[in-house]
Amino acid sequence: MSTGFDAGTASFFDGDSPVAQDARLLIDADVLWITPDTGAPVRWPLQDVRQLRDIAGRQGVSLRLTTDPLARLFLTHKGVLRHFPHLNKRAAPQGRGRLLGWALAAVAAVALQIFVLIPLLADNLAGFIPAQGERALGEATFGHIREALDETGLSPVEICENADGVAALTVLTERLNVQDDPAKGLSVAVLDHPMVNAFALPGGYVVLFRGLIEAANGPDEVAAVLAHEIGHVVSRDPTRNALRSAGSIGVLGLLFGDFAGGAAVLFLTERLISAQYSQAAEVGADAFAHVTLENAGISPGALGDMFESMRKAHGDADGLTAHFLSHPSLGSRIDAARAVVSSQGTYTASLDAAAWADLQTICDR
Amino acid sequence: MNTTSASTGPWQSPPQADATSPAVDAGATAPNRSEMNVDFMGRRGALFWLALKTGVLTILTLGFYRFWMKTRLRRWYWSSIRPGGHPMEYVGDPIEKLLGFFIAVVILTFYIGILNLILMFVSFSVFNSSWLGYIASFAGVIPLWFYATYRARRYVLGRTRWRGVRFGLEKGAWGYAWRALVHWCVTILSLGLLWPRMTFWLEKYRTDRTFFGSARMVQDGHWPMLYRAAIPFIFSVICLGAAALWLLWLAPVFPEGVGSGEDMIGAAEAFLEDRYVDQQWRDPQRLAILPLILFGLLFGAIYYRWVSKRILANHKTAPGIRFASTLSGVRVSFIYIFGNFIAYLILVLGIGLMVMLAFVTFADSSMFLAGVPGGSLLGGLPRWLSLLILGLLYLSVFLMWGVLYQTFVTFPLMRHMARTTSLPDMTGLSQISQRARDEFAEAEGFAEALDLGAAI
Repeated sequence: MSTGFDAGTASFFDGDSPVAQDARLLIDADVLWITPDTGAPVRWPLQDVRQLRDIAGRQGVSLRLTTDPLARLFLTHKGVLRHFPHLNKRAAPQGRGRLLGWALAAVAAVALQIFVLIPLLADNLAGFIPAQGERALGEATFGHIREALDETGLSPVEICENADGVAALTVLTERLNVQDDPAKGLSVAVLDHPMVNAFALPGGYVVLFRGLIEAANGPDEVAAVLAHEIGHVVSRDPTRNALRSAGSIGVLGLLFGDFAGGAAVLFLTERLISAQYSQAAEVGADAFAHVTLENAGISPGALGDMFESMRKAHGDADGLTAHFLSHPSLGSRIDAARAVVSSQGTYTASLDAAAWADLQTICDR
Repeated sequence: MNTTSASTGPWQSPPQADATSPAVDAGATAPNRSEMNVDFMGRRGALFWLALKTGVLTILTLGFYRFWMKTRLRRWYWSSIRPGGHPMEYVGDPIEKLLGFFIAVVILTFYIGILNLILMFVSFSVFNSSWLGYIASFAGVIPLWFYATYRARRYVLGRTRWRGVRFGLEKGAWGYAWRALVHWCVTILSLGLLWPRMTFWLEKYRTDRTFFGSARMVQDGHWPMLYRAAIPFIFSVICLGAAALWLLWLAPVFPEGVGSGEDMIGAAEAFLEDRYVDQQWRDPQRLAILPLILFGLLFGAIYYRWVSKRILANHKTAPGIRFASTLSGVRVSFIYIFGNFIAYLILVLGIGLMVMLAFVTFADSSMFLAGVPGGSLLGGLPRWLSLLILGLLYLSVFLMWGVLYQTFVTFPLMRHMARTTSLPDMTGLSQISQRARDEFAEAEGFAEALDLGAAI
């Protein structure tokens, strides 16, 4: 090593022994010669030398050679660094194909799980849960929902219990629940909440919101919604949904874990899944409602009227937004309901005027 | 950010507790000068910026950058720790972490999804309630949790080097998992009295499988020696027992008994508001010793955890190498309490701000904010803008919490650990040679997916 210039000293680690070797450094043309106290000089081409990244502290720099994964050179003076042309050049990525393969496998596994296996298993198991178990599931969910809807954070949303109103609601329920195989243990409740909505829960719970009764133009519209929700109960949609979310929440939690935005993504995804699930179920429940209303002598068109007033209040949700609301496009459902109305059918109002007035005051105390 | 589980601290897996090693070349040449100290070079400010930068990137990439964040933080911490003046090195690769995460997801998704669903079904079918399902689904993950912890430690050690020589941990994750389960059962059955036995044997299992290069480490000592570390905790428990005896039985605060929790809260409110107390309480101010005792229990728990590490470290050897630690349990407790106080202060302030903004956004602003100055200004913002601000605030609060936890808990802990560790004897260093690379396809994927992926 002849013509080069002295580049000071450093600690050299040969990649085999954890003993530091004091080495003299010499730069000759485009090669760094490392000469330990004992042993032969080591040749490092300047362009293949890299600096370790994210090193703490200002004292000391670790250098490595791209062709040797183990050997290290530890310098305490930085002046020599300017002689290395590619100190911070990144290595070409490796194993990307394998990464992509596993990434696709992970996406496929999650998709298979959420869209195929869990629904399949949930649908099959839902038929086997004994009535008592279903009831317990519904009770627990109902409690959660009442707490979640409450905005004050103090007590769950109240159940409306005005005696006359409850009597009217019972009359209405009995008139509808008379098909060949009536839903057993059906319990209908009204929640004191302004939302225009209704839902069914496992174990025969059907819940209407005060807002829905207020928004309805007459008892038939309430009857139509009630029939629709009974349709869900009969086909055990809520039980399926509950089992399904028990499975998919675990899987999604696994994916998004502790990342701060996880909750939001989780919510959105779960929403997407349940909405997609519900599309088929909603159409089924609509069909059930049409038959039930017809049998009870109530115009099935009332379901369409109810949707009509909902559309006036909220606008229709076609296309992308429809996917995020758990109901299919209202327009098609209105058409479907009106198509069932038979021209020569004789329909009567589902409740007389007095009973309807009672039902409207169910949340009064 | 992954900092939620940060309390495990760096030392659990990383280099130095097990860490073995170091020795200066001086050890070889001048045997009488063979004490080696460990230095810590990093500065708090630098770490703060690194954590903030990588945290922001993590949020912007919907969490995917966390593998890079973790790698970079580890590189930084490891390079700070300098036994004999030479930095440790972390050579883990973010891409392999991402790959490991995908592998773990593929495997775990079936286990967890199907298992949860079936447990829920059984729970409702047979027991008519959900809590059993929740407990069983939690219990089903426990063996996996231990398995993942060991695998993560193996990965981190396998990617740690000092002076170019690799650390390593032998295979044995399932062996660790079932031993941990048995030890936990014994500990619970003994009402916690045999806890030190569990601490010792699990640490021995890990240490005896740890290598630095060709040198295998050994955990010496006996488990009863760890009772020394438990003294503050045991003392607090005795105090708690004595206080309970005094307040409930010897000189009861509530001579007539307490009807229900509600009664008690009502009475406490009445007492605080200086109203007439209808229940006959005797000197209720004596209850103030309870928070003091709870604080003692907290201190005792932190003290045990870290002082037991110190005692164990002082009994770790490798051929021709010994360790010494002078870690201070009091200092570590102070770091924990002070650091967590700062981090949680930000969390609480941020959440308070969020709640206020949420009120402004969602409440009927004309009523609620009528008397609040500036309220109409905020309330006048378009709803989407308020939502956007709310979302950003939410993310930044958690980001800041993680960054401050790194800065005020992890960093000082690491530094204290490093500076109190030394190697009084490392004559064996010259006998050590390199070990083969531990190829490890799934990296710490299971720990990551199960959310116990140690803070850094």
